[in-house]
Amino acid sequence: MSEQYFTQLLPNGMMLLGQKMGQVSSAAMSLVVPAGASHDPAGAEGAASISSEWCLRGAGGRDTRGLNDALDSLGCQHQESVLSEHIQFSAAQLGSNMAAVMDLYADIVLRPRLEETTFEPCKALAIQDLASLEDEPIHKCNLMLRERYYPYPLGRSIYGTEESLNAVTAAAVRQSVQAGFTPDGAILAVAGNIDWDKLCAQVQKLFGSWRGATRRIIKPTAPLGGVVHIHKDSAQTHIALAHRSVTISDPRYYAARMAEVVLSGGMSSRLFTEVREKRGLVYHVSTRYHSLKDHAGMFTYAATMPEKGQQTLEVTVGEIRRLAEGVSDEEMARARTQLKSSLVMQGESTSSRANAMTADWYHLGRLRTLAELSEQIDKVTVDEVIAYLCECPARNFTVLVIGPQPLDTRGLN
Amino acid sequence: MDFKQTVLDNGLTIIAEVNPDNVSMAAGFFVRTGSRDETPSVAGVSHFLEHMVFKGTARRSPFDVNREFDEMGAEYNAFTSEENTVFYGAVLREFQSRLVDLLADILRPSLRGEDFDMEKNVILDEIARYEDQPSYRVYEKLMAEHFRGHPLGNSVLGTTESIKALQLGDMKDYFNRRYSPGNVTVVAVGNLDWPALVDKVAQCCSHWKHFDVARDLPAAPRRLGRLPIVDTRINREHIGLMSPAPTSQDPQRFAARLASTVVGDHNGSRLFYALVEPAIADEASLAYDGLDGAGAFLTFISTDPDRAAQSLRIAHDVLRRFQDEGPSDIELQAAKNKIASSATLKGELPMGRLTTVGFDWVYRKEYVPLAAQIDKLLAVSAADVLDVARKYDMTATTIVALGPAEEI
Repeated sequence: MSEQYFTQLLPNGMMLLGQKMGQVSSAAMSLVVPAGASHDPAGAEGAASISSEWCLRGAGGRDTRGLNDALDSLGCQHQESVLSEHIQFSAAQLGSNMAAVMDLYADIVLRPRLEETTFEPCKALAIQDLASLEDEPIHKCNLMLRERYYPYPLGRSIYGTEESLNAVTAAAVRQSVQAGFTPDGAILAVAGNIDWDKLCAQVQKLFGSWRGATRRIIKPTAPLGGVVHIHKDSAQTHIALAHRSVTISDPRYYAARMAEVVLSGGMSSRLFTEVREKRGLVYHVSTRYHSLKDHAGMFTYAATMPEKGQQTLEVTVGEIRRLAEGVSDEEMARARTQLKSSLVMQGESTSSRANAMTADWYHLGRLRTLAELSEQIDKVTVDEVIAYLCECPARNFTVLVIGPQPLDTRGLN
Repeated sequence: MDFKQTVLDNGLTIIAEVNPDNVSMAAGFFVRTGSRDETPSVAGVSHFLEHMVFKGTARRSPFDVNREFDEMGAEYNAFTSEENTVFYGAVLREFQSRLVDLLADILRPSLRGEDFDMEKNVILDEIARYEDQPSYRVYEKLMAEHFRGHPLGNSVLGTTESIKALQLGDMKDYFNRRYSPGNVTVVAVGNLDWPALVDKVAQCCSHWKHFDVARDLPAAPRRLGRLPIVDTRINREHIGLMSPAPTSQDPQRFAARLASTVVGDHNGSRLFYALVEPAIADEASLAYDGLDGAGAFLTFISTDPDRAAQSLRIAHDVLRRFQDEGPSDIELQAAKNKIASSATLKGELPMGRLTTVGFDWVYRKEYVPLAAQIDKLLAVSAADVLDVARKYDMTATTIVALGPAEEI
């Protein structure tokens, strides 16, 4: 597979990244602006979520319907996601429609209408989304875990609180947009069937004169951490645990990813084998690596019927800890193949590539090629994995449990 | 892009769409069986059996099966619906033979008693998992209510009671009635070696004994069920509507798909403007599901409990109005572009293409290249879409409402 990457820094600070992929007819873009949930002002939590919705309610010369019609007529599959640091605009369509879609996104990001009349419905939807979370314990459990694990407010829930949403005004959200929709820290990546020179010229023309505030720096406070049980008369006890890991820019990153795969990468992984296959304790158990720019964690989630909750917790934590006692050569070989194969297969998707590029640039300030990733994965030794596990021991878990009864977590520290 | 097809002596069909531009290949064993093929006393057996297929064979222990999938770095899984049980994996081209060998082997599982007893716990947990998801509960209740008395009303997961009561012998009987080679299609897509694929499948599956498999295909009832379920543990009102639609064999299915996109796509549709844009509901969407000898339009709405009745009224007005006037030219063109674009994106990945190619064959014994599929879609007129909406009467809905609302 040929890998053709391009980079271009605009004078205003916006970064443009491209990957030309042969053999595909689609093109996908990922545009991130530093307006994520951790930037929400105190008392206006949820502002980023409202912004991401509000920006699509009319932009430039188009009202809500005009903008939707224009995106739809280009077959644009789009999604707006609120992350910790960023709001991410993702769009995928035929490569031949990419330029026209880019024109629309320049309006959405640079000239959103943000009208008073469209604000109230966006706010009302945010309030309903928050209420819906109560009916999704799996999502809620993992969301609240992340909020408590990371230094506050880096992992904060994007949904805000009832209080903050009820209080938030159009002016406050407009201010958030103004502060966060800025070229300093904005990254645009396009992957697929593209003509780089034309793309560059178009982006210069659309975004070259964009001016904005300097990107805000967040000074987080200590994580809330601890053990929280939320009572719910649910069919399952939902157990979420987090413990420390290393960031993407850390030299131990690849050792951490290997540990993650050995622990939870497939049906032959430690957790699946010991918790589900041998003991029948759960349908779902997994550990996933997640990283912000300066903090990272391993996030474990398991759910089971309440009477099996305590045993599930103990066996799961026992397996996470046992990993540091040794990893076999066979496990290392499997994990390597799994990681590399998944990279190659994701490499066929224009959307995955666009997302991976904005993430690489944000975390590392450069793009990693498939060859580099592959080489790094090959280089990791068992000793490095064990050393990583000893440096980031499975202790001091942040714990979030939703279910009918609390669990005894004394063994977790 | 090249299509290949052959049938083994025992009736096992093998098809492939070969695309040398891909770096990976995907393969699946599509078994034409699901909850609609169960009797009430074994409710959930299709899905439970899907789990048991991964529990080892004469040649492999359960741990061997899991380990070998992971050794190839495969992306793999299985799913069970009302009508199909599908086992699949995607790998880099070099692992084609190993993947096919493994999938073929597990399709003749040992079904050991101790594994059955252990896995029963996992199934019961899976049922509990869905119990905590109101949106899934609404879907299941809606199918049961709309198709009451018809096999499509059967639950895929079964119930805690039916699973607890299920015996290993029941599962073996079901397997021996449904997993005939004539009821299985091997589907492969992507960068693959066709002659090697046929050789490998023949080597692994030629000993499978053929027997006849039948499926009851009674006409779908036209029911107008009303099922309010009060559950105060739930925060929102989750509403599902279902009405008849073209079958998956019906040429009108393209018009039905377009109707569903115009009326109920997640964004920019009539339901979106009527309910989500003004924040009356946080979710309102309509989908078309073409089934074997039946079909359904499904609408889902999530709203405040005290706005449930209002949401329902508005949704019905949207459906009625659509049936009166049909789509505008702009709406129809946008729907076509959205569907064509999403099919193209999905088609660029072997995993995405696998189910499309597989189900085209399972339901219609046809292969349709992506470009031809898009051409068929583009050829549908506004009159065709209006026709389908009127013929099936999208307002003739079965309604299930789940949540705290006392009255709707």
